[in-house]
Amino acid sequence: MTQYDGEITAAEERVLSGFMRRLQSAALDCSPRMAGADVLLLKAQLVRKWDAQRRVHRPIELMEPVEIAAGFAAAVLLLSWSVPSLFDWVPRLTF
Amino acid sequence: MLTERAFGEFYQRHARAVWTYVYRSTNNAADADDIVQDAFLRLLQADMVPADEEGLRRYVFRIAGNLMTDRWRKRTREKRHDTASTEQAEASPRDLDVARTFAELKPRERALLWLAYVEGDSHRDIGEALRLGGDSVKVMLSRARGRLRDLLKARGLIEGEQK
Repeated sequence: MTQYDGEITAAEERVLSGFMRRLQSAALDCSPRMAGADVLLLKAQLVRKWDAQRRVHRPIELMEPVEIAAGFAAAVLLLSWSVPSLFDWVPRLTF
Repeated sequence: MLTERAFGEFYQRHARAVWTYVYRSTNNAADADDIVQDAFLRLLQADMVPADEEGLRRYVFRIAGNLMTDRWRKRTREKRHDTASTEQAEASPRDLDVARTFAELKPRERALLWLAYVEGDSHRDIGEALRLGGDSVKVMLSRARGRLRDLLKARGLIEGEQK
């Protein structure tokens, strides 16, 4: 029967501790492929640099849609202002 | 923030222990490599870190635990399963048997047991490392111990140890 809570005897607890000690000292069945400390330091430096660049560029990126919207609005205004005079001018063309 | 030299020495002393913890918990060497690298990178990027070595060690274990938790949650959502490492190096059959028995537990159970027994962490520290509440740690750890005991019983290892 498996009743987990409070069901582990002192003897079983000793076995579990022993098993975990054995596991801790057991040889690994594969080797870590970790980067060296110098590589990590370099990566951290790069990440910091990118973060700083991103912070500097953020206002520009944020303003980009505003600039596009303003340009579009200006084009619409210009068109609405020039279309009537264009209609006046086209009939005067002679081919 | 750590100086380069202090970081180098700290990494030299503790990276393997963190890797072993993550590897035993995830049972996946590639994940362990990624998580350990990420954990130490985050340590380097942190503005405030503990001043003493033991505090730093706990800090890295906590980051690694949090990263593992994130992966388990993501994988649960994606319904992916652990891929056990197929690499076999220098481990003896006995070591492999111990490792395989442990690998039958769920990843979170493995992490809980490792932190409790190998690292000797308190329930509070375990909770912080694995993003669990204090009561949850108690219940889940108890359940993990029960599961491990049952596995050892099923393999006849409990009687063997008691002789």
